[in-house]
Amino acid sequence: MGAGEYWNPKTETLGRDELTALQLAKLRRLCEWAAARSPFYQRSFREAGFDPGRLRTLDDLRRLPMLTREEWMASQGELPPFGRLPVAGREAAIRWHTTSGTTGREPIRVLDSAKDWAWQAEMWCYGLWGFGVRPADTAYVAFGYGSFIGFWGLHYGMEKMGVLNVPGGAQTTEGRVKQLVDFGATVVASTPTYALRLAQEAERLGVDLAASPVQRLILSGEPAGSIPQTKALIERLWGARAGDTAGMTEIGTIMIFECSHQPGGTHIIEDHYIEEVVDPASGEPVGYGEAGERVVTSFGRGIIPLVRYRTADLVTRVPSSRCSCGRGFDLYEGGILGRVDDMKLVRGTNVYPRAVEGIVREFPAVEEFQLLLTREGHFDRIALRVEPTPGVTDEAWADMAERLAKALAEAHEGLRFEVERAAPGELPRFELKARRTVDRRDTPIGG
Amino acid sequence: MPTTDLLGRPTTEVEDELLELYRRCKALLAREDLAPCVRAGARVATVGLWNAVNDLALTSEQLLDLGA
Repeated sequence: MGAGEYWNPKTETLGRDELTALQLAKLRRLCEWAAARSPFYQRSFREAGFDPGRLRTLDDLRRLPMLTREEWMASQGELPPFGRLPVAGREAAIRWHTTSGTTGREPIRVLDSAKDWAWQAEMWCYGLWGFGVRPADTAYVAFGYGSFIGFWGLHYGMEKMGVLNVPGGAQTTEGRVKQLVDFGATVVASTPTYALRLAQEAERLGVDLAASPVQRLILSGEPAGSIPQTKALIERLWGARAGDTAGMTEIGTIMIFECSHQPGGTHIIEDHYIEEVVDPASGEPVGYGEAGERVVTSFGRGIIPLVRYRTADLVTRVPSSRCSCGRGFDLYEGGILGRVDDMKLVRGTNVYPRAVEGIVREFPAVEEFQLLLTREGHFDRIALRVEPTPGVTDEAWADMAERLAKALAEAHEGLRFEVERAAPGELPRFELKARRTVDRRDTPIGG
Repeated sequence: MPTTDLLGRPTTEVEDELLELYRRCKALLAREDLAPCVRAGARVATVGLWNAVNDLALTSEQLLDLGA
């Protein structure tokens, strides 16, 4: 592979031993910084009997306790608004962002210095360049530009690369479709759900996106960017290639990206992060090819050092050799598979929203859907509520509903899904993270 | 005097030049007699170079004490 394929040829092509050595060197500095400046880590390192000066191998990292979201939130509660993790206060920062709030919980609040903010854009550059975005491109960012960190880093990354950037904030979906076509966008950034919604709106407007100059979609914010059926649908509707990325407010940017070889997974930016995969119950590491929970240590953000943060993201790590791009960075096969607590237990059967979406997306006449779990007495019900595309007749709907119910039952040990037709516009639409699973059981079993 | 990166490899000519620019930018940013417009520009330059030296595994440090 030519060096032009990589944003940073020096470290993206390092072998495993060199990457490990680099991570260890950076980890020592990160831990020294955290121990010297962060009240949270001063305490947690002390309680764990951990001395950063005695870090010898990456395995020593496992002597440190993992940080949970609950601990972060508790720290924010004890010392509002930012808690005890930051090494400095708001006077040292240039940005204040929050998590998206889609879970309905109190958001995590984060601060970034000028250096931190620039580093976050840099991480996007790894991913954007890796998927083939180049300075000659015109990028349309279909994002609301609010306090949720979302695509802010992508925006700055595009600018840094010299891409002509069109911020698509404060627009209706119709307005965005018209703008991205009028401006000749070659790259569009959005969540997978919103990429589908833009395509639906384009169809309604009589705009043929497949005939537009758009060549690449940069997806983020939901696992759906790596669900093969959803990705295939997006690529077909847009006539463009869709590349998955994933990040989180807690690190401020992305940590994985899909390269232009589209190997069915996302590369971990390993020169800037240590990513562990552990058994969610025991916390013990799992091997290549085994599903587990992501635990991230980030070398980038200075104001909020992040050491061994439990993400609750479900992933399966595979070696870098799985991809032909030449990067030494390992991959997460299938991207982020979901959340460790995503699984729903319904009448003794495990139901994963990702698997349901994979089936639903094979039906092109589904415009929007929702998975609704309810309980009647001691009986759990699971319904797939579907809003079909306009023009689907009652006869066509009956046929589709029957085939959907059959496909869902076959994939779930015969579990009966009630497939219901929703009225046009009845189901919620999403610009950011979609929440299509609604569990209304009072006492969810395994939910 | 030979310089090495975080992997112990000798640095290249480009890397040496980059490191020198980075050190000079940091030194400038550390001064207390800068006009606001100069400080802002020096901060942007330092941060930009920090990303490059950090990516190339030449250093791994924080800039908070320099206001960045």
